[in-house]
Amino acid sequence: MKTFTKLHSVSNNMFDIKQEKIKGGFRMKLKMLLMGLVSLFLVLALAACSGSSNEPTTSDSGGDTKTEDKGSEGTTAEQKPVEIRFTWWGDTKRNEVYNEIVDRFEAEYPHIKVKREFGGWGDYWDRLATQIAGGNAPDVVSMHQFYVSDYARRNALKSLNDYISEGTINLSDFPESAVNSGKIGDDVFMVAKGITMPGYAYNTALFDELGVEYPDLNWTWDEFQAKLIEVSEKLPDGKYAISDLSGGQLQPNLRYFLRQKGKDLFTEDGKLAFEKEDLVEWWTMWDELRKKGVIPDAATGVEYENAPLEQNMFVTGLTAITQIPANQIYLYQQQFSEGEIRMVRFPSRAGGENGEYIEGAYLSVTEKSKHPKEAALFINFFVTNEKSLEVFKVEQGSPASSKMSEFVKPLLDPAQARAVEFIQITVPYGRPAPYAPLGVNEVEQAYKDNATAIAFGQISIEEAAENFMKTAESVLNK
Amino acid sequence: MEALSSFWKRNWVGYFFLAPWIIGLIGLSAIPMGTSLYLSFTNYDMFTSPSWTGLDNYTNMFEDRKWMNSIKVTMTYVFLGVPLQLLFALSVALLLNKGINGVRVYRAIYYVPSLFGGSVAIALLWRQIFGGNGLVNKVLGFFGIEGMNWISSPDTAIYTLVILTIWQFGAPMVIFLAGLKQVPVELYESSRIDGASSIKQFFSITLPLITPIIFFNLVMQIIGAFQAFTPAYIISGGSGGPLDSTLFYTLYLYQKGFTHFQMGYASAMAWFLLIGIAFITALVFLSAKKWVYYQD
Repeated sequence: MKTFTKLHSVSNNMFDIKQEKIKGGFRMKLKMLLMGLVSLFLVLALAACSGSSNEPTTSDSGGDTKTEDKGSEGTTAEQKPVEIRFTWWGDTKRNEVYNEIVDRFEAEYPHIKVKREFGGWGDYWDRLATQIAGGNAPDVVSMHQFYVSDYARRNALKSLNDYISEGTINLSDFPESAVNSGKIGDDVFMVAKGITMPGYAYNTALFDELGVEYPDLNWTWDEFQAKLIEVSEKLPDGKYAISDLSGGQLQPNLRYFLRQKGKDLFTEDGKLAFEKEDLVEWWTMWDELRKKGVIPDAATGVEYENAPLEQNMFVTGLTAITQIPANQIYLYQQQFSEGEIRMVRFPSRAGGENGEYIEGAYLSVTEKSKHPKEAALFINFFVTNEKSLEVFKVEQGSPASSKMSEFVKPLLDPAQARAVEFIQITVPYGRPAPYAPLGVNEVEQAYKDNATAIAFGQISIEEAAENFMKTAESVLNK
Repeated sequence: MEALSSFWKRNWVGYFFLAPWIIGLIGLSAIPMGTSLYLSFTNYDMFTSPSWTGLDNYTNMFEDRKWMNSIKVTMTYVFLGVPLQLLFALSVALLLNKGINGVRVYRAIYYVPSLFGGSVAIALLWRQIFGGNGLVNKVLGFFGIEGMNWISSPDTAIYTLVILTIWQFGAPMVIFLAGLKQVPVELYESSRIDGASSIKQFFSITLPLITPIIFFNLVMQIIGAFQAFTPAYIISGGSGGPLDSTLFYTLYLYQKGFTHFQMGYASAMAWFLLIGIAFITALVFLSAKKWVYYQD
């Protein structure tokens, strides 16, 4: 028994100690918890600090739009700060121009802050797709005919019909054809920043030096080839008449060629609108030019494939003629101290139809935008406000609004004026063009791959055309 | 239940402090991996919701010629690049182990390429060096040899990338150096007395004793090489060209997912890559029994 009581007391003592230990442990844990919380708050505060410098009010702005949507256009609600994001593709020069336009917009609407994102053409589309999929796309995105259907049909873009009918986006000065060029079905999904037309450009100084007559505005494909051969004969070795345009993007080159034959790349219901023979004819023309040394060999072509404007074959003097959209004339002119950069139409097919269709750069609002109204205001400012157009001039084409097109005319330098003139000459030839179907990226890849394979002499033209048709049909008939 | 709650009581503070890491593991690794596994059995274009297609993505791969080609390109890159890189790293490590003056400086200098090896800037530089008017051709021209456009010829483009990996030998070199220092000096001394030549010493003493290091480097570099992306992306301008000759597996995966909007197929490719790397790593581990010698 003694032992038992002893044990008992010991255990009692132990119990007391345990109690105390637990109390002590609890205090310890409380201390640790507090320390943990404090450090957590510190981290959060730090994060908040660094965040706030960039985006002051993102957290409440979400709520603001709701009240704004409910209540009518109350000025008090509108003055609540809102942030939208705007993205575009382009080079350094364009970034300067667009930053200036955005700055002016912010000055006009002090409660709207615009975050800017930009990149080169190729990266732009990869990133946009990812952002839209991730649900964090910018509110206002730059759009292009070739891609708009991909996004609109996948419900990534907002229909702008309501904003247009209520006048937030005022398109009263837009010709109908310009408004329609942004429509899919009955919905306007994009508004033109500028309308442009592609063609072939050359430098008068080089042609004078070579003693070759300038190309004719309305030349045919036969005259085109003859001119290229003539130029290349006068050029020294290692210089070429034109770069290899047999592959790359499906439009404009192949597309013009097909449309002149009364065909097109795609039908309205998204199938191929041309036959193998058309492609064989196209690639044969380029292959003959390649064999004559008029266009560069495949390896040289690949080397310059992704070169920026300042380093491309035309600017570095390796080619004499190049295919560009008219709005870029002034960018090219800046690269040459001598001569004028002039443009002629795409070569035509004797007795064929016109290949032209309206092209341009557009603005869209994404479906998940939290501030569609502000986004619409921004688009309106961009395309109809003199403060914006004063800077824009013809950056991505002639302004679609006829009023603004007149407004910018006196502001243009000679190269820009030539661009406007070229666009005005060619636009009337334009015929409607079906939108690209889903999967166009893959079809384009197949086109590019097979054209390159021919250039490297890996497969015959016949085989390449066969490959392309097979791939394209399997993609489009999915 | 009780056991669980007492476990919690005892350990919650620990988990509290682990939380940032655990949240990262779950949010940035586990959930994305699970999602990608699910997506690999679906047709998913990133805009509309995924639709279940079963094993289609996996079976379609074997009919995809570009996919086959991308495996061929990646294998060439891995099985040419990694051994050459290790060989080079070992050679430099042996030289630096000779006790030259200023070894530390050399070691730092040789390690530099590894620091920015995978970067965009270096890939751009590579384009210049191996381009038609690049440094390589200038040097060849000096000796009266007419060069070619190494980067944009389908026959040579992949080798410029192999050279780029070899050039990044710094990391394995440093590990080799550490390994060489571990080889007991007595062994060299006694073998010297027995009249062994330097070459004999290398093959009979150095090489066997550093096989664990070689093994480690081999596994790490193989896994890294299979996942290489940036150099091919930059040097080919994202296309994997010319003629898909630099179309790495990862690059094709990227194209499928982000350019062609076939996330389901891209996810399936990612899982195939994981299995492939695991399989090859397992083979290397199995082979290790035959050739890796552990001293103790």
